[in-house]
Amino acid sequence: MPLLKIDDREIEVAAGTTVLDAALANDIEIPHYCYHPVLEIVGSCRMCMVEIEGMPKLQVSCNTRIGNALPDRKVDGMYDMVVSTKSDIVKRARENTLEFLLLNHPLDCPVCDQAGECFLQDYSFRYGRAHSRFEDEKRVRPAEDLGAGVVINQNRCIMCTRCVRFTREISGTGELFVQQRGNSTKISILEDKPLDNLLAGNVTDICPVGALLSKDYIHRNRIWNLDRQPSVCQECSVGCNVDIYHKNGKVFRTSARENLDVNGYFICDTGRYSYHDYEAVERVTSPMIRKDKKWQKISWDGAFKEIFEKLGRKKEGDSNNVAGIFSPFHTSEANFMFARLMQNVFKERAVIGTLPLPKEEEKKFPGGFRISGDCSPNWRGLTEVSSYIYEDIFNELKKQKIKLMYALDDGVNRELTQEWKDLLRNLDFLVVQTYAMTPLAERAHLLLPGAAPLEREGTLMNDSGRIQWLRPVIPLKGSSRPDWKIVMEVMNTVGKRELDYSHVNEVLAEMNERIPAYEGVTFFKLGESGMSINEEARES
Amino acid sequence: MTNNDPKFEFDKPEMVENIISHYPDKRSAVLPLLHLAQSQEGFISSAVMRTIAQLVEAAPAEIADTVSFYTMLYTEPQGKFNLQVCQTLSCSLNGADELVDHICGEYKINPGETTEDGKFTLTKVECLGACGTAPVVQINNDYHEGLSIESLDKLLDSLE
Amino acid sequence: MSDFKPILTEHIHTENSHTLEFYRSVGGYSALEKVLKTMAPDDVTNEVKASNLRGRGGAGFSAGLKWGFIPKEGDKPKYLVCNADESEPGTFKDRLLMTKVPHQMLEGIIIASYAIQAQLAFVYIRGEFYSEYLILEQMIAEAKEASLLGKNILDSGYDLDVVIHRGAGAYICGEETGLLESLEGKRGWPRIKPPFPAIEGYLKSPTIVNNVETLANVPHIINRGADWFRAIGPEKGPGPKLFCISGRVKKPGVYEEPMGISLQDLIYDRAGGITKDRKLKAVFPGGSSSPILTAEETEDLKMDFSGLASVNSMLGSAGIIVMDETVNMVKACLNVARFYAHESCGQCTPCREGTSWLVKILTRLYDGNGTRRDIEMLLEITDNMGGLADFSLGSFGKTVCPFGEAVSWPVRSFIEKFENEFVACVNIGGAVV
Repeated sequence: MPLLKIDDREIEVAAGTTVLDAALANDIEIPHYCYHPVLEIVGSCRMCMVEIEGMPKLQVSCNTRIGNALPDRKVDGMYDMVVSTKSDIVKRARENTLEFLLLNHPLDCPVCDQAGECFLQDYSFRYGRAHSRFEDEKRVRPAEDLGAGVVINQNRCIMCTRCVRFTREISGTGELFVQQRGNSTKISILEDKPLDNLLAGNVTDICPVGALLSKDYIHRNRIWNLDRQPSVCQECSVGCNVDIYHKNGKVFRTSARENLDVNGYFICDTGRYSYHDYEAVERVTSPMIRKDKKWQKISWDGAFKEIFEKLGRKKEGDSNNVAGIFSPFHTSEANFMFARLMQNVFKERAVIGTLPLPKEEEKKFPGGFRISGDCSPNWRGLTEVSSYIYEDIFNELKKQKIKLMYALDDGVNRELTQEWKDLLRNLDFLVVQTYAMTPLAERAHLLLPGAAPLEREGTLMNDSGRIQWLRPVIPLKGSSRPDWKIVMEVMNTVGKRELDYSHVNEVLAEMNERIPAYEGVTFFKLGESGMSINEEARES
Repeated sequence: MTNNDPKFEFDKPEMVENIISHYPDKRSAVLPLLHLAQSQEGFISSAVMRTIAQLVEAAPAEIADTVSFYTMLYTEPQGKFNLQVCQTLSCSLNGADELVDHICGEYKINPGETTEDGKFTLTKVECLGACGTAPVVQINNDYHEGLSIESLDKLLDSLE
Repeated sequence: MSDFKPILTEHIHTENSHTLEFYRSVGGYSALEKVLKTMAPDDVTNEVKASNLRGRGGAGFSAGLKWGFIPKEGDKPKYLVCNADESEPGTFKDRLLMTKVPHQMLEGIIIASYAIQAQLAFVYIRGEFYSEYLILEQMIAEAKEASLLGKNILDSGYDLDVVIHRGAGAYICGEETGLLESLEGKRGWPRIKPPFPAIEGYLKSPTIVNNVETLANVPHIINRGADWFRAIGPEKGPGPKLFCISGRVKKPGVYEEPMGISLQDLIYDRAGGITKDRKLKAVFPGGSSSPILTAEETEDLKMDFSGLASVNSMLGSAGIIVMDETVNMVKACLNVARFYAHESCGQCTPCREGTSWLVKILTRLYDGNGTRRDIEMLLEITDNMGGLADFSLGSFGKTVCPFGEAVSWPVRSFIEKFENEFVACVNIGGAVV
C-alpha cells in the first residue's frame, strides 16, 4: 500500500485513493465545496488545492490519486506522495479562491438560514482574508422557487453544482440545470418540471452554503439554538439515519445523517417531513375508557384493573381467546415485551398477529437510494422477537370468533378496511395502546397512551438485518408511558408477575439472552451507526 | 414552459434519423438537432427542447442547459437578418466599433435589439475567426469581410 | 529570404483546389495509400513521433507522443477528433486550410485514425463557419464516393467514418475536453484532468484531439519522411507553419513559412509593414492568450516554440495581432479582457469571478474612474487566476483548464509593459486614444 505523508502525518492508503479522501478519512481538514463523496468529481470550486512535492503546480486534492511510486521516485526514499495542506502557497490559494467566491456573495449571514453550518462562513473564518478588496456592486438576483419544498437564493450560490449532479446522478430526475455561462451562470429549472421528486430535499442538505433552502425551515430558528438528536427514520423498512433538530419538545428540522451501510448520505422527503404528520395527529395522552359512547379519563391503575377484569379471567369457549396485535411500527423492545405477555400470560389463549401490512411499490433511484415498499420500520425486528405470528390475522380472528383483543397501534400510517372495521365493532373488549386517535383507537373500549414515534426509545431492525438505536427526540406527553413499560405493567397485573425494569436497556439485556439475533447487542455498541445481525459483518 | 405549449415536430424526420445515426450515442446528436430545429423555427422554443429531449432520451432541463451555453442558439425570435458584428481586437482595430455605432444610429437600435419592422437584429459577437479580413459582420450564416461603413450600407440596402 | 516553398498552402490559389479531383491531381491520398498498403498502425505513429510534429492548436504537444498514449489493450472503441473550432482571437489559418484544401486535412484524419485504430472520427467545426461546413460536407461525400471513407477503404480492410459536427458558439469548445463535452451534446465545460482524453475521451473512450493544421501536416510527413520534416526550421519543433497576421498591417493574411522565421520579416515583408507606416507598439505573437510583446522585443525574434519562450511569451496558435503607436493599450487590454469574460464558461471559481472583476476594473480605468490601487489589483487578480509574475515558472493550475492563464497572461503583460498608459488613465481621467 502506498505511503502518504500529509503534513506531519504518515498514512498508508489503498492505491487509487484521492488525497482528499485520505485526508478526510484521517480527520485532516481540506476545505472543499464541489466535491461530494458520491457525486462525480468535477474539481471546479478550486478550494481543495494542496501542494505536492515534485509537482510544479498546486493540485486539487479531490482529483489527485495516490499510487505506488517507483522505488527511485519515492520521496525521501520512502513516501509515495508528500502533501502539504498548510504551506504558505496553499494558504494563499485558498484565501484567493474564497475572495473570488465572496465577490458576489451577499454578507447577509445574520438572516441566512445556513448561518452556523455554512462552509463559506467556516472556511472564511479559518482561511479567508478579513477584508474584501472588491469595490464594485455585487450581482443581485431574486430568489426563486425550485419546487414545492426548495427555494434558491441565487445571490448566495457559489456554483459548486452539487445539486445539479445530485438530480442527474442520484435521483435520476434531472430537473436542475446550469443556465447561461460565465459570470451569468445560475441554477435553474424548467417551469413545467419543478424540483419535486421524492429526494428533492437532499439538495438543501448537500448545498454547502445558504443558497438552497428548505421552505420548511426558512427563518424558523437558528441552528445554534437547536439540539441535534441522531436518530432513525421510521417511515419505511430501510431505516435511514437522520439528525433531528429540536428545542423544548418541538421539532424544527430533519436532515440526512451519513451511514454508508444504510442510506449513504441521503433521505427521502417522506422521512424528511414526517415529523409534521406526528404533530398533526390528535394525541392520546392519558388512559381513557369508553363510557356511554364517550371517552373518560381514568388512572393507569384503573386501566390495568379494567384489563385484568376483561382479559385476565379465563372463561370457557373459543371467544375466550385473546388476540394480540403486534406492530412493526413499534420498537423490538415493545414487541418483545408484548410477545412475552402473550406467551407467558395468555399462553394457549393467545392468538397473535398483525394488522395487514401497508405495502407500496419499492422505489429505487439511479444512485442506489431505495425507498422500501414496506412502510413499517421494524418488520424484521418484530419477526425476530416473535416468530409464530399471523402476518394478517383477520381470517384467524374470524375463524376463531375472537371477542377480546389487545393491540399495539401502528400509528398514523394506518387506515382500516371496512371488513376490519366490522370485525372490530363486534369485539367485546378492545384495548388499544396508542399515541394517537387513529381509526383503530376510535373503536377501542380502553386506550393506553404510549409514546409517539419521536418519543420512543429502543431498537429497530431494518430490512437488511441491521439493528439501529432509535433515540427519543422529544419527551413523552401527558401521562403517556414507554410502550414496553405499559406492556410490562399489564403483564404484572394480569399475570401477577413482578418485572421491574426501569430502563429499556434492561429489556434489551433480556433480549440478549432470549433472542439469538440480539445476542451481545447493547445500545453502547449500536452507537450512531448500528450493527448487522450478520455475524461476519458484526465482527468486522 | 408549460405543458400547454404547442408541440414541435421536425419537418424532415428522415434528416433527424440520419443525424442520430451518425453517432454512437443519441445525446451527441443534440447540437446538430438544435441547429436543424433553429433553421426551421428561427429560434429554440421550449417545445423544441422537449422534442429533442425525447429524441435523445435526456431530461428537457439538460437540453435547456446545453442551449443556454451557446451564443448561436437563440431562445427568442430574431430579426430576419441577424447582423453579428465581431468586436474582438483585430476587428476593433479595423473599425468594428464604428460599424456598430453606425448601425445603431442608422436603424435606431441598440446591440441586442431588433428593428421595429423585424428586419434587422444587431448582435455584438466575439471573434469570428476571420481576423485577416477585419472588420467582419456575419449576417445569418454568411460572413461579410473587410467592410467599411459604405460597403456595409450597400450590403444592408441589398438585403430583402 | 529563404527558398522555402509553401507545403500546406501550395495549391490554395488554384481554382477548385478544394475538390477531390484536384487534390488527387497533385498527388493527394498517395500518403494514405502508402499507409494502408505498407505500414502498420504503430509505424505511422512512430514516423510522426520521429518527425517531432508539435500540435498547431496552441499547446504545442508532440502529435506522435499523444497518439502513443492510446491504450493498446481494451475493447473500447477509439475516436479521433479534428479540432476545427478555430476561435482564438487573431487566428484564421484552419479556415483557410478547410476552404482551400480540405482533402489534405481529411487525408491526415484518415491516417491518424488508422494509426490509433479508430473507426469513427469527427471534425468539430465552430458553428459560425457555415460555408466551410458545407465544403466539408461535400468533401465527405466525395471521399465516400471514392471509397476513401466507409467500409474497406482502398481495399485495405480498414473501416472509417468521419462526421462533421458543428459547434454553436463557444470559444471554450476549442479546449479539447470542452470540445468533447460539447460533442456529447452538453455544455462545453472542460473536464478535470486526469483522466486525459487519450484514456477517457469521447463517451469515456480513448480519444485523440488534433488541430486541423496538425493533421494537414501528416500526409506530407508520410510522403516525404520524418527526416525531411525535421529539417524544416528548428529541431525542437520543426515544420512548415501557418502564421496569421491581423490588426494594423497593410497586408493581413495567412503566410506559410518555416518555423523560426523572424517576426520582423512576417510583419514588414509578408504583411507589408504597419498601416500608414506608423510605428509598431505591441504584438500578440500567438493569439490573444499569449503575453504581448513590445516593439523592442520583436526585434530578431524567431517565431517558433523556443524563440517565443525566450521572451516569456508563446507561439500558441500563431495568431499575430499587430498594434501600432496609435492604439491605446488600456482599450486593447479591456477589449481582450471583455472577450474572455464573455467566453468564460463559468465552471470554476477563479475564471468565472475573476474575468468579470478584471473587466469591471479595466472599464473603470478606461472611463477615468480608476485609481493606482486598481492597477495593482489587476495584477493581483491575474496572479490569483493563474498568471504568475514570472511567466517562465509556468502556471499555478488555479483553473480547471488553461483559460485562467489565457486571460491572465495578456492582461498582466499589458500592464507590466505599458504601465505608463494605465497610470495616465488614472492621472488624466480616462484613456487618450
